[in-house]
Amino acid sequence: MEFLNYVQSNSSQILSLLVEHIELTVVAVALAIVIGIPIGILISYVKKLGKPILGLANVVQAIPSMALLGFTIPFLGIGTLPAIVMVILYSLLPIIKNTYTGIKNINEQTLEAATGIGLTKWQVLTKIQIPLALPVIMAGIRISAVSAVGLMTLAAFVGAGGLGYLVYAGIRSVNNAQILAGAIPACLLALFIDYIAGIVENLVTPKNERNTKKVSFFKKPIVQKIILFIVITSILGMFAVSFIKPESNEKQITIGSMDFTEQEILSHMIKQLIEAKTDIKVNQKLSLGSSTIVMGAIQENDIDLYVDYTGTIYGSVLKHEPNSNVQEVYDISKKEMKDKFNLYVLDDLNFNNTYTLAVKKETQSKYNLKTISDLSAVSNELIFSPTLTFMERNDCYIGLSKMYPINFKEVIPIDGAPRYTALMNDESQVIDAYSTDGLLEKYDLVVLEDDKSFFLPYHAIPVVNENIINNYPEIVTVLKELSSYLSDDVMRELNYKVDEERQNPDTVAHDFLVSNSLI
Amino acid sequence: MIKFDKVCKAYKDKKVLQNVSFEIEDNSITTIIGESGCGKTTTLKMINRLIEPTSGKITINDKDIKRMNPISLRRSIGYVIQQTGLFPHMTIKENIELILKIKKVNSKKINARTEEMMEMVGLDADEFLNRYPSELSGGQQQRVGIARAFASDPEIILMDEPFSALDPVTRISLQDELMKLQEKFSKTIIFVTHDMDEAIKISDKIAIMDGGKLVQYDTPEMILKHPANDFVKNFVGKNRIWTSPNLIKVKDIMIDNPITCKEEFSIFYCLNKMKMSRVDSLMIIDENKKLKGILYASSLTNVDYENKCAKDFIENDFITAKPEDSIVSLLKVIDDNKIATLPVTDENGILKGLITRSSLITSLSQQFLEKEDK
Repeated sequence: MEFLNYVQSNSSQILSLLVEHIELTVVAVALAIVIGIPIGILISYVKKLGKPILGLANVVQAIPSMALLGFTIPFLGIGTLPAIVMVILYSLLPIIKNTYTGIKNINEQTLEAATGIGLTKWQVLTKIQIPLALPVIMAGIRISAVSAVGLMTLAAFVGAGGLGYLVYAGIRSVNNAQILAGAIPACLLALFIDYIAGIVENLVTPKNERNTKKVSFFKKPIVQKIILFIVITSILGMFAVSFIKPESNEKQITIGSMDFTEQEILSHMIKQLIEAKTDIKVNQKLSLGSSTIVMGAIQENDIDLYVDYTGTIYGSVLKHEPNSNVQEVYDISKKEMKDKFNLYVLDDLNFNNTYTLAVKKETQSKYNLKTISDLSAVSNELIFSPTLTFMERNDCYIGLSKMYPINFKEVIPIDGAPRYTALMNDESQVIDAYSTDGLLEKYDLVVLEDDKSFFLPYHAIPVVNENIINNYPEIVTVLKELSSYLSDDVMRELNYKVDEERQNPDTVAHDFLVSNSLI
Repeated sequence: MIKFDKVCKAYKDKKVLQNVSFEIEDNSITTIIGESGCGKTTTLKMINRLIEPTSGKITINDKDIKRMNPISLRRSIGYVIQQTGLFPHMTIKENIELILKIKKVNSKKINARTEEMMEMVGLDADEFLNRYPSELSGGQQQRVGIARAFASDPEIILMDEPFSALDPVTRISLQDELMKLQEKFSKTIIFVTHDMDEAIKISDKIAIMDGGKLVQYDTPEMILKHPANDFVKNFVGKNRIWTSPNLIKVKDIMIDNPITCKEEFSIFYCLNKMKMSRVDSLMIIDENKKLKGILYASSLTNVDYENKCAKDFIENDFITAKPEDSIVSLLKVIDDNKIATLPVTDENGILKGLITRSSLITSLSQQFLEKEDK
């Protein structure tokens, strides 16, 4: 029921993400066909190239898709381009392989007859080889197209949108309805594409190989041609609508965000505020991924503004040793971001989303825990489920275990919100958390005090590029105004509204701004 | 005329063709035959340049084919191979019309030509034109293959074992069909086969190949009667000629030196000669060896032949055979006339030999008796 309600109230968003997903998939598969078929033909002629090219395609197929996607960002930036490139790379293998196999498997005598009666090489290729290999090539395209639908869900990580956006947003906020609203259409889309590709495959197979006995209504060639025509027309229609969108000359900037609730709320907040207070139009690229990816995007000028945290910049970007002096961390971050990356750190947004460790109330009372020092004393009885990032960073687990004599019974890293689920199911007893995380409130967890002041301050700071400073300095003022309404508590409450009450980040941001008379 | 001049072909060290030279006459069926790997298909494919010779020269009407554009050369030559030569994704119509369409012949002409071709090979156009090759029987497919080769009306048609995958009944009917077409259109057909019966049946000339060499190139008759070497003898098979009795001529089985005498010789002399030669008749000839009549021993019993000579008892009313008559017509004459002795004369009546019942039995029994010599 929750799912149906979600679909009902978000139908227009789901629909536009679905359209986006179809467009991305169609473009990627179409390009994979345009690239893959000629390569397949080439290697069937130039045998020497066969092994290295098929080998390379196999290797690409074996690279985890997330890694491939991450790898393309430094070269291609974020947005649709890396997503499409990633899906193309994955789609190539079945297409190349099937083109190659299809052409190779043609009877030698048929080809000799074709040459013998006087066809040129080109005529042999176009009139004999390709038509005969077409059913096999189509089977390859079908495999590619279906897996491309699934792969394209990763596009959301690089801000290209698509149904993956709902899936990942849902996973982050433990919103099953939202996950399903992304996953079910993606699944249906895959089945539909399989069906359409099957029709094409059937139509290109020479009639003599088809079953000429009674066929059902939907298998009649004429009916299939009509279905195909309708589908192609509507896809072309989709593209036409997307392209017709007027490219305005008005002032505009693009803001990015990382892939968690707080970032999304902030992004909507900043967008609405800027659009209300200035005549600048704001485009959003939501849920781009980790801080590294978003920072990469701003350096590539794919985005103009995002919100980062002082600790992240100080520790992971600038590689300084942990430091609990708030002002010093801010000043150094601001200076070095300008010097090293030509990025401008604006004024602190007045809340600290630092790391912390959290436990269930039962655990707290059982061991009488107040501080991390208390925890470290009993840590050999407890299982810890941190995020992967937390495990790897010097300013997190590595440094923490040096500062406190902490030694868990077992450490099971789980990314994102699922670690809360693990905690609630008693599969682990301790997790890391962000101090403004709405889920802390949702699950009624206890935050342990960092009695040795180990964790860096993670004050939220807007990071902007030169474009903002030079062209839209008014934005700096707008953001400064916002900071006076924010605090740790406010932020946690806003997060809670999205994560627990299942409100839209957009709405939450809007309500907040309205209630504070900011807009 | 297609002429091979010292044509060789080698793949690395392996010599596939060695010094093949022969001339293929226009408007005839020439068969290239041999065991697999003998180079027969290689030879054929050199004519339309599917295979290029390592050395040597092939000319068509004195033009070196190496200097011709291979595509236009191939389009001017019909090519038929086993049934896989039809394109499985094209209908019969598309298969036949492919080259005409590429040549941009106007579509009205193409349609007329296609129907003509279908009629020529005995297939119903309405029934078959829109079908795909796999819906046809092997024989029907091969008819389409022939129709496709004839469609652009080439002078030369190459056929690479076109009937070898067919069942014997279909194969024979297609052979007959091909011979009929040849009678009507008189193309230059080069036909590769490994079936000696097929070669003998349809060929004007046969080229026998062995190990990349041309071992004999002659008419079927000459190859059967005078195999060039043991290979040909074995390949042709000992009794092959009996399967084509039309090729056995009177001259092959006649007694070359019948016992003769002149008409003025005395009967006494004649009887003595018969006795000495153990025959029961004498061929009476004049000084030019022209046959005058036959003297039968039987007509000399109980007669007074003192002072009589051969002329007085000669049988003037006799039937003769010609040296070029076949054994089939010979047997018919003997059977119809119930005669035991049949002189063989040429068109001028000159005696060339003699067929007797006993010589006939000796010849006919040869096919059943193993020959001692090798």
